[in-house]
Amino acid sequence: MDLVDLVFVLSGLLCLGSACAIVTRKNPVYSVICMLPFFIGMTILFVLLSAPFLAAMQMMVYGGAILVVFLFVIMLINLRPEELKDDFSLQAYAPPAIVGGMLGGLILSFVRHGIPAESALDRAFSLPVVPDANNPHLARSMEMLGFGGHAPALGSIESISIPMFKQYVVPFELISLLIVVAVLGAVILAKKRV
Amino acid sequence: MVPLAEAGVFGWLLGLFSFKLVSCLALAGAIFAIGAWGVLARRNVLVMLISVELMLNAVMLTFVSFSRALVNMGPQLSNPYAAEGGQIFALFIIAIAAAEAAVGLAIVISYFRNRQTVDTREIRAMKN
Repeated sequence: MDLVDLVFVLSGLLCLGSACAIVTRKNPVYSVICMLPFFIGMTILFVLLSAPFLAAMQMMVYGGAILVVFLFVIMLINLRPEELKDDFSLQAYAPPAIVGGMLGGLILSFVRHGIPAESALDRAFSLPVVPDANNPHLARSMEMLGFGGHAPALGSIESISIPMFKQYVVPFELISLLIVVAVLGAVILAKKRV
Repeated sequence: MVPLAEAGVFGWLLGLFSFKLVSCLALAGAIFAIGAWGVLARRNVLVMLISVELMLNAVMLTFVSFSRALVNMGPQLSNPYAAEGGQIFALFIIAIAAAEAAVGLAIVISYFRNRQTVDTREIRAMKN
């Protein structure tokens, strides 16, 4: 077990623990505050998975914007203390039963059908990321833009932005349309009726 | 690393505690399950929205894990931007999560202003 495995296990456990804390706290303020270690763990995981730009975006948008909006709304709506009691609608033993059943089914399928062999994707995941010598499209785009003929590394801003504005430009524009509609809808919904 | 076929069931489960594609997918599945439990079991609408954010984060983790695996598959893929596409769609998921939080919280505020509750047991104006 080397350092990458250790960091992966620790950040994964941080994510799982804080996710459980988010779901099980009765006071929603504690739930929102437990979102912060969850997002920090996800950021470490994204850095490990060679997505540094996505990690920065995760920390800015989730940790900076969404979390603050949730906290702001909780302070705005001012819950009464008696609403915080008796918050769970399922019985206390239902979640362990569900998880135990899923794990039991997994082990039963392994016992009956054997363990899945390592696929080509598993082997490709274990290889180190080369600075993308095998993507000539990215290198050609960088040369056309005047940044030399070297392909950028996976997860850098260049390697995300070039496909975003070439192949995925239609979903990108649709996302912008969606955000405009969402902002207008939020303003109209939250506007005080007279 | 021990090959999967020789490890046995418990050896395979112990192998999940290392940085592999399978362990990333298992972690994403566990986070998704916790988020689904929150949506199903909680009665506070705000915590249900936070649990939806957990589920979206789990899907993002899946996308990024496959992107990390696909970057080494290289010329075998028909889509030249398959690896980058995973991270781009994770960015799109962040945008959609922000929009969803804005609209959902606006609905919560609007409902609380009318009925003074965010409990799903009390939200039954359209029942029957």
